[in-house]
Amino acid sequence: MTYSSFLKAEFLVLWRRKQDVFNALLFFIIVVVLFPIGVNSSPEFLAPAAAGIIWCATVLAVLMALESTFKEDHRDGSLEQLVVSGLSLPLLIVLKIIAQWLVVMLPLLITMPLLAEMLYLPSSGFWALIGTLLVGSPSLFFIGVIGGALTVSIKQGAMLVMLLILPFYLPVIIFSTLAVKAAQAGLPYSGFLAMLLAMSLLSLVISPFMTAIAVKASVNA
Amino acid sequence: MQSFASLTISDLWIERAERDLCKGLSFSVQSGDVVRILGENGAGKSSLLKVIVGALSPEEGRIAYSGEDVTLDRSILQQDALYIGHSVGVKQRLSVAENIRWYCPDVCTNVLHEALKSLELIDYMDTPVKKLSAGQTRRVALARLWLSQKTLWLLDEPFASLDVKGVELLEERIQQHALAGGMVILTSHQNLLSLASRDVMLLP
Repeated sequence: MTYSSFLKAEFLVLWRRKQDVFNALLFFIIVVVLFPIGVNSSPEFLAPAAAGIIWCATVLAVLMALESTFKEDHRDGSLEQLVVSGLSLPLLIVLKIIAQWLVVMLPLLITMPLLAEMLYLPSSGFWALIGTLLVGSPSLFFIGVIGGALTVSIKQGAMLVMLLILPFYLPVIIFSTLAVKAAQAGLPYSGFLAMLLAMSLLSLVISPFMTAIAVKASVNA
Repeated sequence: MQSFASLTISDLWIERAERDLCKGLSFSVQSGDVVRILGENGAGKSSLLKVIVGALSPEEGRIAYSGEDVTLDRSILQQDALYIGHSVGVKQRLSVAENIRWYCPDVCTNVLHEALKSLELIDYMDTPVKKLSAGQTRRVALARLWLSQKTLWLLDEPFASLDVKGVELLEERIQQHALAGGMVILTSHQNLLSLASRDVMLLP
């Protein structure tokens, strides 16, 4: 096995699991669409709340997609093969997250202009929102994958992943929505983006090692 | 494949779920050896293979590969070892050929076709593994034995789910590997008198 053959197989598996990815995307769209219908559809309410709505929906969609990250690999024994492959397990995990991020986040980003328009998000806020999603969402994946690895041998682990991981997502949601609000008010928001980038980089450094420990423990369980 | 390799296990102690599986186990394997691990169900045969390949950590003991102590870091051994466990590590959503390319990316197409012909999988090359039977899935995993150049093979019940022809093919391949200077450690309840050069008995 090589890193490139691993990455290629990851993309192929994700492509054939498109139902899961589609479910996450559908869930994201439904949450965003239902919000104005259920709460308030006036532009005065939706424009300031848009970033928060989109980020909360993104977090839930990502959690939904991440819960099954290692489950299939654990069932068929390929997770064990990764552990004993002689390749760096943290690096394999980084590659797995990159593949997941691309497959889950790209469709979400593609739907964003339409949803932002629907929520009356002004263009200044829209570009800030895209910026926060680009620099902040990797941290969602790097943090969330730890929960996925910890609960890999638990059949109904989705709720546990949510309880374990959600508190760590709060700073990302707070800084992202603050960045969009600052942009909407015409204030500089690069500081918030820098904070989000720092969170993503910090999780990139820490998460693969923690996930590798959790994966090894799950394989041994 | 290494021209000469050896594996030395000294005073190994494996504990699983607060139960001693083997204590003070010592044996060595050299190029050309086929070692069968014997023992009752739950004696720790699979755990021993996992400890050797580094999926599990022993409580105590020393593991040396080709003279180098690999007890704390098994990466040198792992790069030269092929492990097939109870769960064979075959991705259900990938086809037979994709699974093999995942594990052996550098294999050329002719060699891949030859191996698949030998294993009677050539007609299923592009079939997703989830559509194959248990025996065929195991053959997909065992195809690695035909295509990989690794010296040390660690096989956990490799004959399980195989039909008579599959067993014969695998026995033949193991013999070829041993003759070429490889090392094989396997667990099996199969009678392997002609195949195994040595047995290691795990006592409860």
